[in-house]
Amino acid sequence: MIHWKESSYKQLLREGSNKIKVPFIAFLLALVCGAVTIIISGYSPVEAYRAIIVGSLTTTRGFVLSLAQATPIMFTGLAFGIAYRVRLINLGSEGQLYIGAMVSALIGAHVSFLPGFSHVLVAMIAGAVAGGLVGLLISWLKIAFGAHEVITSLMLNELIILFTSYLSIGPAKAENSPISQTDMILDSARLVKMVPRSQLTVALLVVIAIAVILQLLLSKTALGYEMKAVGNNLLAAKVGGIHVKKVYHFTFFVSGAMAGLAGSSFVLGVFGRFIDHFSNGIGFAGISVAALAGYSPVGVLFSAFVIGILKAGALTLQRTTPVPIEFVSVVQAFIVVFVAAPKMVNSIISSPRELGKIIKRKVVSRG
Amino acid sequence: MDDFNRIIFIMSSTIRMSVPLILVTLSATLQVRSGIMDLGCEGMMIAGAVFGVLGSYLSGSAWVGVLFAVVFGALFSLVHVFLHVTYKVNPTISGMSVNLLASAIAPLLVMLVWGRQTLSDKVPAFNKIDIAAVEKIPMIGKILNEQTIFFYLSLILAFLMWLVLFRTTIGLRLRMVGENPKAANTIGINVVKYKYIGTLLGGALAGLGGAALSIGQLDMFIEGMTAGRGYIAIVINAFGRFHPLGAVVGSLFFGFFDSLQMVFQGVLIPSQILMMMPYFFTLLVVSFGLSRSSSPAGLSKHHDM
Repeated sequence: MIHWKESSYKQLLREGSNKIKVPFIAFLLALVCGAVTIIISGYSPVEAYRAIIVGSLTTTRGFVLSLAQATPIMFTGLAFGIAYRVRLINLGSEGQLYIGAMVSALIGAHVSFLPGFSHVLVAMIAGAVAGGLVGLLISWLKIAFGAHEVITSLMLNELIILFTSYLSIGPAKAENSPISQTDMILDSARLVKMVPRSQLTVALLVVIAIAVILQLLLSKTALGYEMKAVGNNLLAAKVGGIHVKKVYHFTFFVSGAMAGLAGSSFVLGVFGRFIDHFSNGIGFAGISVAALAGYSPVGVLFSAFVIGILKAGALTLQRTTPVPIEFVSVVQAFIVVFVAAPKMVNSIISSPRELGKIIKRKVVSRG
Repeated sequence: MDDFNRIIFIMSSTIRMSVPLILVTLSATLQVRSGIMDLGCEGMMIAGAVFGVLGSYLSGSAWVGVLFAVVFGALFSLVHVFLHVTYKVNPTISGMSVNLLASAIAPLLVMLVWGRQTLSDKVPAFNKIDIAAVEKIPMIGKILNEQTIFFYLSLILAFLMWLVLFRTTIGLRLRMVGENPKAANTIGINVVKYKYIGTLLGGALAGLGGAALSIGQLDMFIEGMTAGRGYIAIVINAFGRFHPLGAVVGSLFFGFFDSLQMVFQGVLIPSQILMMMPYFFTLLVVSFGLSRSSSPAGLSKHHDM
């Protein structure tokens, strides 16, 4: 700790190039730690990494699969990232994702009077609004009653997951279905596939467009300026006459809507219905993706793609090597640990001795 | 089952379901009291659950499992406090890193040690303790003899934590670090040291909570067996006003609905709706009932030396 304090002038000099350099080195360090894990487990890291790269980047199918795996995480990454720019913590993505998915599934299956293209559009927007309203509830509880958003958002996660589970087992359950899931959506509610017989749909284009819009919103508009001001210094923003409540409500609505869209894209693009407990932590994965991107909306697209590569590569890893597939999520976790701590990476860069110390510590903590 | 037996069943399973919750909520309480946000509990609990089983598997003794759980719970909490305190990472991110790391390493470990996905072998675990002295007492005897060692352990630890936090100098200092790190530093308290102590002991407790699941309630590790209890602990912690005894009461409250759901089996009320009740109630309490300044004022604040 004292170490980076002493070299703080060096840090100032570096700051410019560090924006790219530090996450990159953090990423490499995570790969090294992952390699150490594989070696400890008794496998070859070269073989493992090659399988991941070959499986996800060298074939069209693998590349498409990587993009498809990345799409929902892009949404949840945007959800966490945009809130974090205002220093709000939205841990409710998981719940917002489920409510968005459920609403989209119900509209997709049971609303039949909407002509053509408008059906899928309405189903998607409704999913976004459902997620956004949950976000609004969190910001309302925060502003009106001072309830911390971390606690309320975690509670709403559990509430919503239980509630959607109840719907998919009870009233909204598809008839004659052995597992708890809703009716299949109508064909008019399906998202158009970008590549035939793949999971890649136009949801990817939607998320790219939204990321660009959010980036422009932050950098070019008055509202974006207010959001950043509230995020950087709440007190100064209040004194400066910024309507903090409005910024909080807007941010939480957008954040929740992004998570809702992640759920919609699953239902309308991948499964075609709501399946009980389908997500398995996609909402929480958004946190790591946003951190990896330095909370920049457009950056999220790329960091989510990196995770998509790992996920798609994992399938090849399982098929072609004896390395356990579980190792991929370990690498993913290491990426978050290192990317989250730029100061740690800085001190590692400035002193190789520190690196040895930290790796030792990591190995110990893993046993 | 007649009504009398049903009541006894509800009471004993309420206690059984709430024991892991008590332990992990105590962990959350200790962390928040020392000014560390308690978001890593889930990961520490997973680590405790899986390494507890590993220790028991390797040694053949459930007590070694407990030792493993405590040590690895603390080691995973080290990641949290190291990133957050030493490198000033946002506590949400560092806490979630612990959760991600643990939930990634647990299945890998299961794969490497037992060679299959999802669940471990059966290992030596703790049995229910039959106390001859209480057997004769109606009701209470039946309820107590359904419990494992973890029940008594959790009550003792809750009492100990109350004693240390509110009746000793060390506890006072730890709470001061949580309330106002700057002031604590001014009077010569080593803030960083206390934050490390609070988090490491908290990690040990969460690890113990994980062991209470894997080698207390069951005798194996199942992937996803913690089922978000680490997050629920954060909620109960706020509900119990960051007090060790509040942690016990709050956990019993959540455990009660867990056991009701087991009794009704979705016959009268759908079990999901029943399970929603404690969250709904807590949401109301946290939003409308608590005063705004209830959490330690210095939560997640750093001081610069």
